[in-house]
Amino acid sequence: MSNFEPNIIAFLCNWCSYAGADLSGTSRYKYPANIKILRVMCSGRVNPLMIVQAFREGVDGVVISGCHPGDCHYTQGNYFARRRFILFRRFLEFLGINPERLALSWVSASEGKRFADLMGEVTEKIRDLGPIKDFTEEN
Amino acid sequence: MNLFAIKEAAKQALSQKGVKFVIGYTKGSYGFRVAPCFVESEGEAEKLLFSPLCDLSLVNYLTLERNTPLEKGGKSPEEKMGIFVRGCDSRAINQILSEKGIKREELILIGIPCPGVIDLKKLEGKFPGVLGQAEVEEKAGIYIIRFGGESSAVKKEELLSEKCKHCAFPTPLVYDLLVDEKVEAKEERYEDIKLKEEATLEEKGEFWKNEFSRCIRCYACRNACPLCYCEDCILERLSPQWVKRSVNPGENLIYHLVRAFHLAGRCAGCGECERVCPVKIPLMLLNRKLEKDNQALFNFMAGMDPEQKQQFLTSFDLKDSGDFIL
Repeated sequence: MSNFEPNIIAFLCNWCSYAGADLSGTSRYKYPANIKILRVMCSGRVNPLMIVQAFREGVDGVVISGCHPGDCHYTQGNYFARRRFILFRRFLEFLGINPERLALSWVSASEGKRFADLMGEVTEKIRDLGPIKDFTEEN
Repeated sequence: MNLFAIKEAAKQALSQKGVKFVIGYTKGSYGFRVAPCFVESEGEAEKLLFSPLCDLSLVNYLTLERNTPLEKGGKSPEEKMGIFVRGCDSRAINQILSEKGIKREELILIGIPCPGVIDLKKLEGKFPGVLGQAEVEEKAGIYIIRFGGESSAVKKEELLSEKCKHCAFPTPLVYDLLVDEKVEAKEERYEDIKLKEEATLEEKGEFWKNEFSRCIRCYACRNACPLCYCEDCILERLSPQWVKRSVNPGENLIYHLVRAFHLAGRCAGCGECERVCPVKIPLMLLNRKLEKDNQALFNFMAGMDPEQKQQFLTSFDLKDSGDFIL
């Protein structure tokens, strides 16, 4: 599909990744407009239900981003997120959904450039995968 | 299986102080069915039995009994509950105990080392329309099935329940009384799961779409699950409504994904979900996939330790693999 534009939701943690995205903007780095940012207080707050809900509403890819290990504002929230999504991604794969659609990344508040690069990378990957159909299928 | 030992164990449990009832198995009203029963006196204990037909788990009755709304001004029951547990049931109980769903002090566990039970769907498929009471006995790898004055022999592998083929814990892990000799355990290798994992994404997607498209969303799998005892279930929430009620392939996928993931690191592998499914969806594949990953990646197994402080998804290890992280 040549003119397919993916819809991507990014759950960014308030303390690192959201500030990173902010820095990316104020430093005038460009990243694709396909990314829609949702701010959460911590990557550990992201519930798999939210991701499922996003997929159902027609989102083609989800990015979850938090502080680097050891840097979490809440000391350990990102470790919980990591364990949860290791398992969740493998489970998605078992159900026949490409796990690449769910990306986890660590971006700190000073990594504006890295944030823009990452979002470009993710958008390209999802663009190649095409739209998600599994969750929106009706009878 | 020694029926006398079962009755004696029940009587012994009932004779202890404060034991209100013992939950066990008795004859069903027709065919191959076995019914759960609450035995309150030693005389009643005579009707208890255990046979390869006892494929149902009784653990649910414990949490149901505890969640019963009290009468106005009524006191919370102090009585103890006795229950017969097989290996898989004991794991479920361990898990509930570690989650503080029930207290160990209010339980008398009578362990049954279980050599495996029959899948009733397979048995009824082989002998359809049996209405009179039937009996099944296991002798050296062969089931002897008696009904209507006839008896026939069927190989154990043909009728054995799927969950029992992979059972690594036939002897209960936790019990107060044990009625028989321990059964030797075999190692769980998750071979069927490995086979499924090797398929391509498209094949897996097609397989599950095919399976889930049959789902009628009766929620029997949730109701039968001993670990699904939350009073406020996510499936009944209306605001926000995480799982919608429409029955279509997309929504069914979401339902099964959510159900299985809520049991990640908690499923004890008793196979109740698969047993009660009216449309025969292989739900244990989902649960065992999560169990396999938990064991392989985090060396975690649900229901092994009733004293376990932290649950799987509410704990972490600094060494958890992060190789997929961008």
